[in-house]
Amino acid sequence: MAYTVALIGNPNVGKSVIFNNLVPGARQHVGNWPGKTVEKKEGKCIHKGIELKIVDLPGTYSLTSRAVDELIARNYIIEEKPEVMVDIVDASNIERNLYLTLLLLELEANLVIALNMFDIAKDKGYKIDMKALSEQLGVPIVPTVATTKEGMEELKDEIIKAAERKSSIKTKITYGEKIEDLIHSIVKIIKKDETLAKKYPLRWMAIKLLEKDEDILEKIRSSRYHHELMEVIS
Amino acid sequence: MKVREVLGDDPEIVLADKRYDLIHTILETTLVRGAKKWALSDMLDKVFLHKYLGIPVFLALAWAMFRFAFDVSAPFMEIIGLFFGLLAEASRGIPNEVLASFLSDGIFGGLGFILTFIPLIFFLFLTIAILEDSGYLARVAFIMDRVMFKLGLHGRSFIPMLLGFGCNVPAMMATRSIESEKDRLITLLVNPFVSCSARLPVYILIAGAFFGSMASTAIWSMYFLGIVLAMLLALLLRKTVLRGEPTPFIMELPLYKAPTFHGSVIHMWERGVQFLKKAGTYLLVGAIILWFLSSFPWGVAQESVELSYTGQIGHALEPIFRPFGFDWRIVSSLIFGFMAKEIVVEALGIIYAVEGGEAIAGALVADYSPLIGFTLMAFTLLYVPCLATVGTMRKESGSWKWTIFQVVLSLVLAYVIGLAITGIGVMLGYA
Repeated sequence: MAYTVALIGNPNVGKSVIFNNLVPGARQHVGNWPGKTVEKKEGKCIHKGIELKIVDLPGTYSLTSRAVDELIARNYIIEEKPEVMVDIVDASNIERNLYLTLLLLELEANLVIALNMFDIAKDKGYKIDMKALSEQLGVPIVPTVATTKEGMEELKDEIIKAAERKSSIKTKITYGEKIEDLIHSIVKIIKKDETLAKKYPLRWMAIKLLEKDEDILEKIRSSRYHHELMEVIS
Repeated sequence: MKVREVLGDDPEIVLADKRYDLIHTILETTLVRGAKKWALSDMLDKVFLHKYLGIPVFLALAWAMFRFAFDVSAPFMEIIGLFFGLLAEASRGIPNEVLASFLSDGIFGGLGFILTFIPLIFFLFLTIAILEDSGYLARVAFIMDRVMFKLGLHGRSFIPMLLGFGCNVPAMMATRSIESEKDRLITLLVNPFVSCSARLPVYILIAGAFFGSMASTAIWSMYFLGIVLAMLLALLLRKTVLRGEPTPFIMELPLYKAPTFHGSVIHMWERGVQFLKKAGTYLLVGAIILWFLSSFPWGVAQESVELSYTGQIGHALEPIFRPFGFDWRIVSSLIFGFMAKEIVVEALGIIYAVEGGEAIAGALVADYSPLIGFTLMAFTLLYVPCLATVGTMRKESGSWKWTIFQVVLSLVLAYVIGLAITGIGVMLGYA
């Protein structure tokens, strides 16, 4: 049994420390993303007899198609479809960090949140109701302090639970009636194009088209429904 | 339903706002913010990020950094110098004359001489690592962004500029993170003017020989000159050939933390090792070539190095450099310095070693004025970047046109600044 797990998070949230905690140094492999000079780290660890292949994605705030590191992360999620994604959230900067979380939910990633730097958040006087937060997002949350390795075992437990849950979470996150209507009408058209519908999460693709994401606009150019789509979004 | 009606002119921003609204709503019920404490980090930022104080504080810290590295490494450099001096002395006794000269002048006099700079390079990297690990360097990016934006450089340009102090090659590769082609090209073109660590041995040799207690100030002034010129050029390019507005930049400031000894030493080592690798490859080959050109035709060159191949090359081009007071030794050193800038020092080491092996610093003071020394430092900073940098420029810009433009620009700039320094120096009576 082996699962692929991708780590993602904003820069400076302790992502590489968590990676180092999960994967012993000797099992790490450092290379480059194909054709790019952005560093790619991966490695394996075994937890309770189950092998986890851990991939460290570039630290990003967002997942647009404009910056190389963001595009690498996003293409990896779409193309490689890792079984579990661990979104590392800086608890002391939770508001800004959750932005990426929402983007990952749009991508229908099978998420586990590592709420890291929990100690600093506490020092700052933050009290986070994790149960309620987890319920509202529909994502399991594990509090961690990467620098002292707190919460690492629990994180691995949660990763395996998420992997075995198989069906990825359907997000409860919505952007209000008007926008949802637009999303829905785009989704209806994309559904007709089987190649597109198989490759991309539908709702995500619709949102990207609303945002006029250049990469996705390019991808629909060859679709039979290109014209119909453009009519809706322009 | 029309998209425009719902999402306005910039749907991306509207959707981003929606996401933040949602985060807000979620956090309203799940997060209680306690009373915010006045943390040490905030206090430090009051000073380090101050609108007017920020940059002077940075310049002062940078100066202190050089001063520290320079003073602490001096005794170590002395020891390594003595060690290679003894080796050179010993190898002079080898019966085979050519081999004796090769070892004593080429290897110990040339390569060995450049190796005496190891302590300084390591200490400088250590201080940079400490500033970086403490979180201060990220602040520098922030305070510089304000200035850089006004000068037409993008905030993301700062990291490549910073890396340039180590080596321009990885620095130019780091420009790939800049989204806009124009922003990126400007950063590429001005990056070689950021003074890399390879130029440092030249500064140390010259400043140490001529400027005594003012040596670290003289070195600091080279870094300052490099930065100022890079920025002015960026502005000029932005106003002329690469017109346009830089895109805005958002960055996050990590919390300050006490750097760990272990972490900083590892950082220092990772970078310092690059210099050792260079010494084992480029600089070794350079030393062999230079020794050969400076010692042959055999016999004639021993009579006077001026008659060696090196001397002939230097003499041929000397007229161009006459306004600066550079003689054939400096001229040929500069030519070989194209391979790698440390070779300027290596070449001077070998030329003087073949000539008779007296202490280089003393020989320099006897042969040149402090003004010539200072001009040489500035010239080394500015004239054509090294071979590896030119290669990287070609690769990263994807165009010979811009590569040649950069090289010509550097040469012209070096010459003009050289003339200006000489002119001002003479006017002030330092001839």
